[in-house]
Amino acid sequence: MTNTRERGTGNREPLSFRAARRGILGVPGEWRAARLGQQGFLAALGMTVMVATALGAQQATPPAAPPNAPALDLSAVSLPIPAAGRLVAITNATIMTASGATIPKGTIVIRDGKIAAVGADVAVPAGAKVIDGAGKYVTPGIIDAHSHSAAEAINEGTLSITSMVRIEDVLRQDGVSLYRQLAGGTTTLNILHGSANTIGGQNAVVKLRYGLPVDSLLFEGAPPGIKFALGENVRQTNRQLQPGQEGRFPRTRMGVEDLLRDAFTRAQEYRREWQQYETKRKAATTAAARSALIPPARDLELDALVEVLEGKRLVHCHSYRADEILMMLRVAKDFGFRVATFQHVLEGYKVADELAKAGSGASTFADGWAYKMEAWDAIPFNAALMAERGVVVTINSDSDERARRLYQEAAKAMHYGGASEQEALKMITLNAAKQLGIDKRVGSIEVGKDADLAIFTGHPFAPNSRVDMTLIDGRVFFDRATSPTLEQLIEQMRNRVRPRVTSEEQ
Amino acid sequence: MNGTGIGHWESGIAIPSEARDLLCVTRGRPQVRSRRSLVASLLGLTWGAALLGMTWAATALPAQTQMPTYVIRGGTVVPVVGAQIPNGTVVIQNGKIQAIGANVQAPQGATVIDATGLFVYPGMIDAGTDLGLVEIGSVPGSTDTREIGDFNPQDVALTAVNAHSELIPVSRVNGVTTVITSATGALMSGSAALVDLWGWTPDEMAVKPRAAQVMSYPSAGGGGRGGGGGFGNRPAGDAAETVSRQVRALRDFLADARSYADVKAKAAANSPDAARVNQAMEALIPALRGEEPVIFDVNSVEQIRGVLTLADSFKLKVIIRGARDAWRLADTLAARGIPVIVGPTTQAPGPDDPYDALYAQPGVLAKAGVKIAFQTSGASDVRNLPYNAALATAYGLDMDEAIKALTINPAQIFGVADRLGSLEPGKAANVVVTTGNPLDVRSNVKYLFIRGQAVPLTDRHTKLYEQFRARPKP
Repeated sequence: MTNTRERGTGNREPLSFRAARRGILGVPGEWRAARLGQQGFLAALGMTVMVATALGAQQATPPAAPPNAPALDLSAVSLPIPAAGRLVAITNATIMTASGATIPKGTIVIRDGKIAAVGADVAVPAGAKVIDGAGKYVTPGIIDAHSHSAAEAINEGTLSITSMVRIEDVLRQDGVSLYRQLAGGTTTLNILHGSANTIGGQNAVVKLRYGLPVDSLLFEGAPPGIKFALGENVRQTNRQLQPGQEGRFPRTRMGVEDLLRDAFTRAQEYRREWQQYETKRKAATTAAARSALIPPARDLELDALVEVLEGKRLVHCHSYRADEILMMLRVAKDFGFRVATFQHVLEGYKVADELAKAGSGASTFADGWAYKMEAWDAIPFNAALMAERGVVVTINSDSDERARRLYQEAAKAMHYGGASEQEALKMITLNAAKQLGIDKRVGSIEVGKDADLAIFTGHPFAPNSRVDMTLIDGRVFFDRATSPTLEQLIEQMRNRVRPRVTSEEQ
Repeated sequence: MNGTGIGHWESGIAIPSEARDLLCVTRGRPQVRSRRSLVASLLGLTWGAALLGMTWAATALPAQTQMPTYVIRGGTVVPVVGAQIPNGTVVIQNGKIQAIGANVQAPQGATVIDATGLFVYPGMIDAGTDLGLVEIGSVPGSTDTREIGDFNPQDVALTAVNAHSELIPVSRVNGVTTVITSATGALMSGSAALVDLWGWTPDEMAVKPRAAQVMSYPSAGGGGRGGGGGFGNRPAGDAAETVSRQVRALRDFLADARSYADVKAKAAANSPDAARVNQAMEALIPALRGEEPVIFDVNSVEQIRGVLTLADSFKLKVIIRGARDAWRLADTLAARGIPVIVGPTTQAPGPDDPYDALYAQPGVLAKAGVKIAFQTSGASDVRNLPYNAALATAYGLDMDEAIKALTINPAQIFGVADRLGSLEPGKAANVVVTTGNPLDVRSNVKYLFIRGQAVPLTDRHTKLYEQFRARPKP
């Protein structure tokens, strides 16, 4: 059972191959192997650009100099592909590291997409591209722990268990929405399946590498996850059934528990069958003995749940009420796994101690409430109170729009319940990285981590601050100076409509 | 209902017992308290919510006849109209601002509030909500936001405002003291009410029971509040036809109402009892006379142009609300003196608009000379009104202009600038004392007064917070 994921996906070709066949890349898929290979991601990323732009090329060129490739017009807003973050220095900025103390006037050196140095007395290496950060604030790139962006479809709601479906299969560069999130300093998203059913589909963690081929979005090495959901949505409380349409099980919170226990019981049995088969296969010494063995039927639905049982797949569980949160914790305990995060978890403050004890994270809205019955006891103090009780808390968007201003949402944890500035910042950076199991790579400004950064015009929580620049892997993916703004558009329109009156016409 | 709100306004409303207790005001007469104990009790008021139920029961007092006098001293006073006053004083008496300035004597017997290090602002006004008309969005039994039919100008929002909605105290916590509330979504949704967020009954809350008619202009875009029209997801094929049919219906209805008004006036001259009453058309007469403004919930350029044409045809005093595309007509709107209620800024811009379109639009309009105000366009999100404006200040709206757009501008737009919108003697004492710029999420409101009443900053949320913060470790 060491390789359930492989088994689960064995009949599928690698994503890049499919993408290539679909004509998104237009080249055979050797580049993907290279991208994830020893040459390092960044070099490979450069190669991705080159390969993808050299449409029709049969051989991937080995990665060499940073690409000076022409723009890929993959989206509504066509922008140049950012220059590689080989050697960059952000100087004289206030650096809010999220992990340590804020550096009032410091420098960040980025080498090959990673943070190479950070501090007050860091020298700018010769040849570095310098970004003047005077008067500005730098934070880690914002991580949105609950998103539905960049996916063509998110809700396979026909069945109550759809653990076989994968967001990764429907990823897309959905153009301007991703760009707008970058413009709010957001760099990483946890793209979740919808909440129409109790056991939903598999998630995809992505970086907002806007404009690159869609496979380049995937956060390489991020632990896989799955969406669960409880409460009104899976009970279809707020949904009008069509005439003649039958309701779907479950209809009550008791039914939801039953469904979960049944699914994991089946998953345990399925795992046992495979373990027995593997044991027998290893024991079989002759070819005849081996061929007499019949492997159990593969079940893609249960494969994913076995991964949950084995702690290889993180459960992100949509939840509202305290009772259903406790139910999920009991089920998880009985079946021996940990719920990585409770999502929304609007009544998490009522059971914060239980959440902390179970080691489950909580990812909530800053202040959404009263939109449905199960959001009636939601309070904006939720995040701060759970954090106070020792829960790893994040504030998420669940919305392409809100993901553009998570910094303002995070500040609400200070406003309601008195979280510290550092704690509030962590709720959209380091804590999210921890919840998603990617905190060795992102979430704070530390040497060795990916250079995913947001540069603000002022303190990120101040009312009139905005994002000036967003970097991923040391590359500038958003730059206000070169981005199409309303001001620019108005200027263009003014120039266009202004009639040119010549002296002759007069 | 005419004048009811004003009557109560003049006399002031009885102070609910919770506020009296918390301010330690005794039987009918305000008692001068030491500064420390007052501050302590006000702080307790914010955080001691869990204990309130018992406190009320134990110390409930009979209704008092005289309103307390307050002196807010030592803070930076931001009157909005006029310059900031560092170390200023605001005197609140009989529900009104009695005096404001750097050298103001405290009246005898006044309750002193030390605002050293704090800021004093007028209460903020949300120019578009359905507060009081809805409790829980998805629970039909708790919503009164949309009547059947496209033409309901006779419907009066104030009728259905639940003065005891749990959402009202929540809406106050960041300094909003007054809102426009109404049904929306029909071509004519009825009259909006301008209400203060304090009072035992809707009438007591009302500043202006009929502040404006609320209409929308048909659009092929369909769907959504402020999108115009109530015709949802029609197939694309007949969208244009639907729009033109609805525009015709809207014009016809207004034309009929105008004829009705003419006939009625003539009939009344001959025999006062002759005219039959048509409730719907009757309701439109003040708007057709230009006495009552008409809010149009619109978004596209086409809709806004349509509204301008209607305004010309029927001499309507229009207010454009929502108005995603208003920046495209900024100069026109400025030249015609048509105010725009923007927001929420926390929406995604149109698919072809620049990423910062909705953030930058308020600044563009203000710079062009358009009078702007903000709306949150809902009920549960009213407390985020100042943060909607904050996003606009990050993209070009001047901070002082933003404060005006939350205070004096909406007061002017709805014709109540003589009573609301700034800290000036004689105006209603809707006063907010904050730890900083109210647009800064990190600031907190310390004290809040509506018509001179010190309003507790407790709500459903602070109560639950206190309750569960005190939960023993299991």
